[in-house]
Amino acid sequence: MNESIVQTDNLYFSFKAGQPVLNGINMKVPKGSIYGFLGPNGAGKTTTLRLLLGLLNNQKGEIKIFDQHLAHHRIDILKRLGSLVEQPSLYLHLTGYENLEIYRLIYNCKKQRINEVLEIVGLTTALNKKAKQYSLGMKQRLAIAIALLPQPEFLILDEPTNGLDPNGIIETRELIKRLNKEFGTTVLVSSHILAEVEKMATHVGIIHKGNMLFQGTLKELQLMQSSKSALEIETSDNNKAAALLNDIPELSQTDTAIIIPYKNKNQSAAINRRLVENGLEVYALHPQHNDLEQLFMDITSKGK
Amino acid sequence: MNIAASIKTELIKTKRSAALWIVVLGAGFVPFIMMISYLVQPKQNIERLYKNNPNPWIFHVGNIWQGFSVFLLPMFIIIVCSLITQIEYKNNTWKQVFASPQPYSNIYFSKLTGIIVMIFFLFVLFDLFTLGAAIVPNLFYSKYGFLTHSFNWRNFLTLNLRTFISTLGIIAIQYVLSMRFKNFIIPIGIGLACLIATLIAMGWEHIFKIPYAHPFLTMRFHEVKKGVLQNHEWNAIGYFIVFTTIGFFDMKYRKERG
Repeated sequence: MNESIVQTDNLYFSFKAGQPVLNGINMKVPKGSIYGFLGPNGAGKTTTLRLLLGLLNNQKGEIKIFDQHLAHHRIDILKRLGSLVEQPSLYLHLTGYENLEIYRLIYNCKKQRINEVLEIVGLTTALNKKAKQYSLGMKQRLAIAIALLPQPEFLILDEPTNGLDPNGIIETRELIKRLNKEFGTTVLVSSHILAEVEKMATHVGIIHKGNMLFQGTLKELQLMQSSKSALEIETSDNNKAAALLNDIPELSQTDTAIIIPYKNKNQSAAINRRLVENGLEVYALHPQHNDLEQLFMDITSKGK
Repeated sequence: MNIAASIKTELIKTKRSAALWIVVLGAGFVPFIMMISYLVQPKQNIERLYKNNPNPWIFHVGNIWQGFSVFLLPMFIIIVCSLITQIEYKNNTWKQVFASPQPYSNIYFSKLTGIIVMIFFLFVLFDLFTLGAAIVPNLFYSKYGFLTHSFNWRNFLTLNLRTFISTLGIIAIQYVLSMRFKNFIIPIGIGLACLIATLIAMGWEHIFKIPYAHPFLTMRFHEVKKGVLQNHEWNAIGYFIVFTTIGFFDMKYRKERG
């Protein structure tokens, strides 16, 4: 799990001198992960992804994908990954099949692979229709099918659910999870919606104004959130309990409960044991979470 | 990555495209008008065809080719170059092309090849229509005598080849412009402005240095000057090499692609 598919070192980019869009991004996408790349619009997500694909010339810092330098092994790297950047890239005057045929030739895969990817995205019936006549959801799925042609080890998806209806969003999410599970594909998926990332990601990177504010597993993010949440304790004798727990910093007491900063489940169990062993009845012990949305707001506003 | 695959993808992209229709339209325009004229006014046309030469093909080919190569051919080349690159711009597909494992040289030269194939196709169609514009009226009015006179294939094919070579400069310049600007009005506008300015300056002694005049010059001196290539045709090849190189490095070292 320690192996990284993507590793960037101090990535810096500016379209105009003196106005950096990216300010020293160190991104690490572990192999086999679904890496949710979160940030509000204009945070630098697309710029980062475009740099990874070589669509923007790297100005400062280093990019390594599959442990190879992008600057020297662009073609070798691109052969092994699939991408979908912003809106689907389709030739609208061509049929779904012809669109796939173009990239089949470029990736030099077998004809049969077209049927396979169509099957994966569930588009087998519409392959002879012009892409112009596709709904947005179908276009998105066709674009994902193109990205899947080379049986990529790594998928880069930029806001793949943008503009989709709720059904489309769920389908895309399930597809990403399935690819990750069944084929071991590492997925880097950007989004500005936290709830969406939370539902599929194993790892999260939060970017804001060109700075990486957080990077780690989804669990770590949730833990960080827990450091900001409180544990509410209700006992048969709150005063005695408070005296007993006075070694805990930031302990406070309300009319009905004692409140201490929440760390983790083990902490709750330990406190419970201490209280019970000292003859107190514990009525309630519940962590009060800030929701992740709140946390995201906290982190991003801190970066201002 | 092999370039043949890249070229093949470029040809698939032109299927049902506007560029393809423009080529068919461009090739058929002058011959079609000529054919209508032959059908409607046989007497006057027969007189004209035999006025200076006993072989009607000479006047027919010369006349139709002149109407085509001076203005329409360069104009259709300008439009085709823009339409072919527009396929990527309009569909927002440059990013996918550049994120695919193809060397920049493959991307650049396969698209250029796509354009050249289109223009080659324009020539072939135009030739067929030129023959058709003479043969069809002949079926109704045998007095035209096209079928009883010999056709100088060698001369006809040389004219084709030379005119094609003479357009290379325009192709390269328009390709660079069309790759550079997302808005297709810009390369078409610049191209047409250059073409019209060239037509105005046709009497200028240095006109053979201007790429947009080259197809006209080939037409004008084809009968007079024999031999391999004329000066302006060499110039066209030179422009082609220079602008193709500039365009390639412009694309390769651009800060932002796709």
